[in-house]
Amino acid sequence: MLKRLMESDNKKVADMAINTNFRNYRFRNDRIFFHKASLYEKTILGLIAKQTGKQTMQMEVYDCKQKTDLTGAILLWDSKKNQKITSVAGKNVIKGGKASWDFYWQLFGRNSIDNNGMLIRQYVHYDKGMDNAYWDGRRMVYGDGDGIVFTSFTSDIDVIGHELTHGVTEHESNLDYEKQAGAMNESFSDIFGIMIKQRFNNQDVKKASWLIGEKVMIGPKYALRSMKAPGTAYINHPELGNDPQPPTMDKYQDLPNTQSGDWGGVHINSGIPNFAFYVTAYNMGGYAWEKAGRIWYAVLTDSSLAQNAKFVDVKNLSIVHAEKIFGINGSEVKTVKQGWSEAKV
Amino acid sequence: MKIKLVRTGGFIPITKAVETEVNLTDQELNKLLKIIKSGTSSYRVKDANYYELTVGKRSTSVDLEKVPDEYKALFSKLKNDLRIIK
Repeated sequence: MLKRLMESDNKKVADMAINTNFRNYRFRNDRIFFHKASLYEKTILGLIAKQTGKQTMQMEVYDCKQKTDLTGAILLWDSKKNQKITSVAGKNVIKGGKASWDFYWQLFGRNSIDNNGMLIRQYVHYDKGMDNAYWDGRRMVYGDGDGIVFTSFTSDIDVIGHELTHGVTEHESNLDYEKQAGAMNESFSDIFGIMIKQRFNNQDVKKASWLIGEKVMIGPKYALRSMKAPGTAYINHPELGNDPQPPTMDKYQDLPNTQSGDWGGVHINSGIPNFAFYVTAYNMGGYAWEKAGRIWYAVLTDSSLAQNAKFVDVKNLSIVHAEKIFGINGSEVKTVKQGWSEAKV
Repeated sequence: MKIKLVRTGGFIPITKAVETEVNLTDQELNKLLKIIKSGTSSYRVKDANYYELTVGKRSTSVDLEKVPDEYKALFSKLKNDLRIIK
């Protein structure tokens, strides 16, 4: 029908039909494009309500009093009341939590962990001498460290950003916590954790140390992880020995998918995608979050990222998003490819 | 009877262990293991620590939050005595 009208002798009718046909074509393609667009793409295209700055972070900090019963923890600080507190760990997590919320909000328009204003709950002084921090699906929990190898796990902003990002990942692709998908889950937490720290400290890619948990590990030569050189965060440590992280895929460690096997080495093999990100960000220059961070956030929030994604899937998606954000011929695309190539993925 | 508590997992995966002699009968230990055995959940806490208790040749994944009051002091000491295994 439309085709016949487009061929009409009546110029006015034909013009109108051609115009309608063109608009139909655009609408069809727009629908396909927007259906496939990631959360980040939708945000930068203004399809999701532009964050106006009216949103505010909601956070509560609890003191576990060195016990393990989280339900018995005492409310130490509430963002609505903004009480003065004396606990150093409490102050640390308020600072780190704010830096993390600001990072996601100001750069990506993401309103908290679930992008819907989720209350950030942080628990400090968990257990006696606990040398760990974790995300349990609802909250972040931090130990004070054993005082020998580790100090408080609240000492570094990147650790706080790491735990919060586990929540973000859960609300996005919800990557499986095993094997390569689990290592990717860990890597996203390290990548966003390190960027949150670098932004807080106003460090560009060259100034930054790219070390996770520099203060948490006691001793100037040690850190929990190195993104710049995985496997070198601690060497010949009197208690821990050597950092087991591989930087490249040919050194991938095929560990048992068990609790004692770190679910297939999720904290070990994460060194590989961490290194790919480091090389990419470093070669792009400037601040890590300006280019590499935008690409990795687009991947993290891409609905096509499968729960059981492998490194190569993330690599492919990062190239797709680099092309979308910076153009097919952008130098950034080559830099992303080079990053993954250096990690031998 | 000798028992061994092993902790694995965490932000950086380190293994810690401790062994001790306890004055408990087989029956008491079996009862304790039944109580503190970890439940099965499909959700995996991120960066979590895990505990495993070995009695004889049997190793059981345990949840220390379930430890009954009468054994709390024992497990508190065990946790305190955990040492890193390289």
